[in-house]
Amino acid sequence: MSQAWLLRRLLGVVPLLLAISVLLFTIVHLAPGGPTDVYADNPSVTPQALAEIRIAYGLDQPLPVQYLRWASAMARGVWGYSIRTGRPVTTEIAERLPASLLLGGTALALSALLALPIGILSAALRRTAVDRVLTLVSFAGISVPVFWLALMLQLLFSIHWTLLPAAGYETIGDTGVLDHLRHLAMPAAVLSLATIANWSRFLRGSLVDALQQDYVRTAYAKGHGTAGVIVHHALRNALLPVVTIISLDLASLISGAIITETVFAWPGIGRLFVESMDARDYPVLMGLMMLGSLALVLANLCADLVYTLIDPRIRYE
Amino acid sequence: MSERAASPAINGDAAPGAAAAQPQSRGRSFLRRLLRAAPARVSLGFLLLLAATVILVPLCSPYAYDQQDLDLIGQPAAPDGAHWFGTDTLGEDSLTRVFYGGRISLCVGLASALVATLLGTAIGALAGFFGGRVDQWLMRGTDVVLSIPLLPLVLLLSGMFRPGLGSLVLAIGGLTWMATARIVRGQVLSLRELEFVDAARALGAGNGRLILRHILPNAVGPITVSATLAVGSSILLESALSFLGFGVQPPTPTWGNLLNAASPWIGTAPWLALPPGLMIFATVLAVNCLGDALRDALEPKD
Amino acid sequence: MRGPRTPIGARASVAALLLSFALVSSVTSVAAPLPLPSASPVHGGTLTVGISYDIDTLNVYVTAALGDIEAAVVEGLVAPDEHAHYVPVLATEVPTLANGGIELTHQGKAMRVTYHLRPGVLWQDGVPLTSADVKFTWEAVKDPHFLAESKDGCEGVESIDTPDAATAVVNYRSVSPAFASTLFTFGILPRHLLAGKDLNHDPYNDKPLGTGPFMVSEFRRGQYVVLDRNPLYWGRDAAGRPLPYLDRIIFNVIPNSNTLGTLIRAGEILFAPRIPVMLAKQLRGTAGIDLVTGPSLGWSYLDFGMKQVPALRDPAVRRAIAEAINRAALVKAAGNYPQPIHSTVLPVFETLYDPEPDAAVPDYDPAAANAALDLAGYPRGPDGIRVREGRPLELGITTQSGDIDGEIAEQILIAELKAIGIAAYADNKSGIAYRQARYKGAFDLQYGRITTAADPVYSMFYGTHGPLNGRGYTSAAMDAALARMETSLVPEERRAAGAEMQRVFARDLPSLPLLSYVSIAAKTRRLQGYVTNPTNMTDFVGVAHWWLSPRGTAP
Repeated sequence: MSQAWLLRRLLGVVPLLLAISVLLFTIVHLAPGGPTDVYADNPSVTPQALAEIRIAYGLDQPLPVQYLRWASAMARGVWGYSIRTGRPVTTEIAERLPASLLLGGTALALSALLALPIGILSAALRRTAVDRVLTLVSFAGISVPVFWLALMLQLLFSIHWTLLPAAGYETIGDTGVLDHLRHLAMPAAVLSLATIANWSRFLRGSLVDALQQDYVRTAYAKGHGTAGVIVHHALRNALLPVVTIISLDLASLISGAIITETVFAWPGIGRLFVESMDARDYPVLMGLMMLGSLALVLANLCADLVYTLIDPRIRYE
Repeated sequence: MSERAASPAINGDAAPGAAAAQPQSRGRSFLRRLLRAAPARVSLGFLLLLAATVILVPLCSPYAYDQQDLDLIGQPAAPDGAHWFGTDTLGEDSLTRVFYGGRISLCVGLASALVATLLGTAIGALAGFFGGRVDQWLMRGTDVVLSIPLLPLVLLLSGMFRPGLGSLVLAIGGLTWMATARIVRGQVLSLRELEFVDAARALGAGNGRLILRHILPNAVGPITVSATLAVGSSILLESALSFLGFGVQPPTPTWGNLLNAASPWIGTAPWLALPPGLMIFATVLAVNCLGDALRDALEPKD
Repeated sequence: MRGPRTPIGARASVAALLLSFALVSSVTSVAAPLPLPSASPVHGGTLTVGISYDIDTLNVYVTAALGDIEAAVVEGLVAPDEHAHYVPVLATEVPTLANGGIELTHQGKAMRVTYHLRPGVLWQDGVPLTSADVKFTWEAVKDPHFLAESKDGCEGVESIDTPDAATAVVNYRSVSPAFASTLFTFGILPRHLLAGKDLNHDPYNDKPLGTGPFMVSEFRRGQYVVLDRNPLYWGRDAAGRPLPYLDRIIFNVIPNSNTLGTLIRAGEILFAPRIPVMLAKQLRGTAGIDLVTGPSLGWSYLDFGMKQVPALRDPAVRRAIAEAINRAALVKAAGNYPQPIHSTVLPVFETLYDPEPDAAVPDYDPAAANAALDLAGYPRGPDGIRVREGRPLELGITTQSGDIDGEIAEQILIAELKAIGIAAYADNKSGIAYRQARYKGAFDLQYGRITTAADPVYSMFYGTHGPLNGRGYTSAAMDAALARMETSLVPEERRAAGAEMQRVFARDLPSLPLLSYVSIAAKTRRLQGYVTNPTNMTDFVGVAHWWLSPRGTAP
């Protein structure tokens, strides 16, 4: 892998982030109202205090100047203060991030765990009834509305059979691991459904392609069994394209987390987003959007890097 | 939630629609290939049936979709002879609302997909045809929008401005064109190297004509597939927005806001949540199956 | 999806010392009440509470939400009990003219209120409470740099003297019957902790230090607040045993009403105050759960946006809209909990409420409404919607997004307006945007609910300069009646002025009162000693006396 390419790719991240920040800034400032609205209707806040706040926020400056101030502050790690709570945005996000990471991480792990066997099985047994059923199930997985699925699961597992807790991060007062797992089960299942479906279908597709390659026929000719062929030869090459869609599914996870966290009352950044939307808490919203975009950009970068590392045949000129 | 179906073709590597030599028989054999698979037949049939019912049922129903029944107001009533799907908290007939809501959800889905497809085709065609800096900048723009998580962005937009149907369609369509753009770009890139383009250019065709009359018609296949899949993701997106309280507001029903209204009653009146959710599910499933079958039917290889 | 947040800046004044309002607090269990063994209070137990609003801050003067948690942690000099009578808390008695606690000064134009502090009260960190804390509270709250929601009562104070550690003498600029409202009642701030600090960003806002029965142990934002028993609490029960009974209270933030319902049914949440009516309807009949309805000094209303809509400036149009509303539908949709009202003065305020027909707003009469609109020059168009000068009569109704009860009511209103040819649509706003629209009058029609203190200051809502008169209503007759109502100390005068005010109101219709609300709490049958508090101090004012019967003993 050429050093020049690597360097160019890494540097390319910066203008991308800048462009994203400009877009977000523009959108948010197009909105009617602004950060001082929360004080504007408070009868205790004198017009003088209001003016002071506006100056403190830099709202009296022209828009490009405001953007530069905001962008440089963001780059330095100063993300402003939440309008709703008055605390630093970074604190608000940092408090809620672990819960979302736990949920997202579990969903990803679950996806990998289930998508692999499903994809392999589908490919190995292609065109049989099993494959058709699994394919249909995959389609179902990407077609079902997340919020409805969440509600149905709640109905089934929490209301009808009281097996799992309907919502929350932990039973109040109980901090055992089993308790956490029980709370994690439904949200993680709901969140991972779409990615399981995507990955298994994608894996099936690329595995089927790989299995038709010459080197596979050679392997069979040499006497290797189906399982051996798949695992030792085809899989490695088949996994490669899957890497490219993982980063896109990260976007899906972030979006899906908003709904899942809302229905299951999971105290993560997805719910923080909705709460901040309700309160028009633009500093927090901006912080979350930038964080999400940063995650996506980095994920794409990693995907490219991994792709290059895995497949020695690919060279980016 | 997945806003798009998985597809290896997302990199636009499907073969360019083989030239427009014999459109008639190609069309017929295409249809035959398409309808050969059972899922495609079922999906198409379901969608046609759905279209018919969402138009007819509200017309034939004895209830208006916003007709409140004072006797039944206050608590959802279970399905009975007078109300086959039961009634909601306001005494409105659930069946009528589900099908009327189907109209709205389907229209928004179709319109958004149309906007996304038009936008994506335009951008992809320009990028693919002109190449060079135009391509670079357009693709960079695409990257920028792709790098922002979709649902938060749509929420942000619809939360800030008043949610009318038009602005909703624009918001959804304006943020889901990227996949189409990539596909079209790939198609145009390959197609513009073909001989018939040179021939047309030699005959004096300008760039616009080349793109619109010669190149794009050959890319209709992948564009259609993309458009079909976009309908599914638009419907999911709209219903997610309505479920979260943004998007279309009552009394106008959409499947999403019907689920929003039904969710407090999930424990005591689950029959309210089942039809709208099932409708979304079935419709999106049918659309995705159809799109997949379309793609298969377009491949010259089996 | 949050439930309704009630007193938006409406923590109005209370005139308890000169006039007392006897409110009957009804504790009725909607589920069939089973006879409980009359046990005596038991110490111990953890109460898990579900609240549907997000906690912005734990500083009672700053928060825009109701101060449930603060009421358990922070105490004031006096507090309103379940009958809306003031009782002494940190003061030894409620100052009145009779007991000499209030003296008139400057030839009766100003007054001086003396508080004697209860001896032996310690802050939760062990430091003794003194009058310096009282003085500090006033100085801190009135400080213009302190951005607080509830500063009522500060401006009237001229100065505070502290002759000794147990006495605070508050000198007022004028005679203010409503002095015992926000300041000092909401809570006393600890001088030894907060003197010289910036209250806008102090850790006190996350972990308030009070003198109350519970202390904040942990505050996990967006999730929960854990309160533990204050071992240094001064309160004792009738038998002399130390209060509180409960060991721990955990407040859980559960904005989603379905989730709250599920947790209540599962027994994970033992108490939920002020639940939406929708949730109450779903919980009816659940074993082991009681629904307690208490009077709420609240009512729902439809405001006319006269600033924004010329048509609404015509009293005939307002009258027609009033006649289009069938309150029976609204009551039924709200589970039959509320009562219809026809006056902005709630019937429960017996000394002011005028039941005469000319003091009542018009009742349901769609025929009259249709006739009136025809006469006023709004003929029906081809689609049934009335038009004027080519423009259809279309009005947006604004209510708070996420307020499920409000959104249901809104749908009913939309249907009822459609029946008289007005095309109404939902134009909901959330949180801050909603409050802004209310204050500025940026709405066509506004549906809301408001909860006030025991003696609402109606001039705030209907006076020309009232801060909550966003709709821009102004009337000399109304202002005159309000002025007499709010400065007179003679009950008969107040009643006459009140009647006049209601008559002007019924004629002018600045707003349309719809239903009087009750507050519904869901609680486990095990929770004893709970009484509802109809004021904006919340039920938790009496939390020291609540106790949980051990599992397995209550049916």
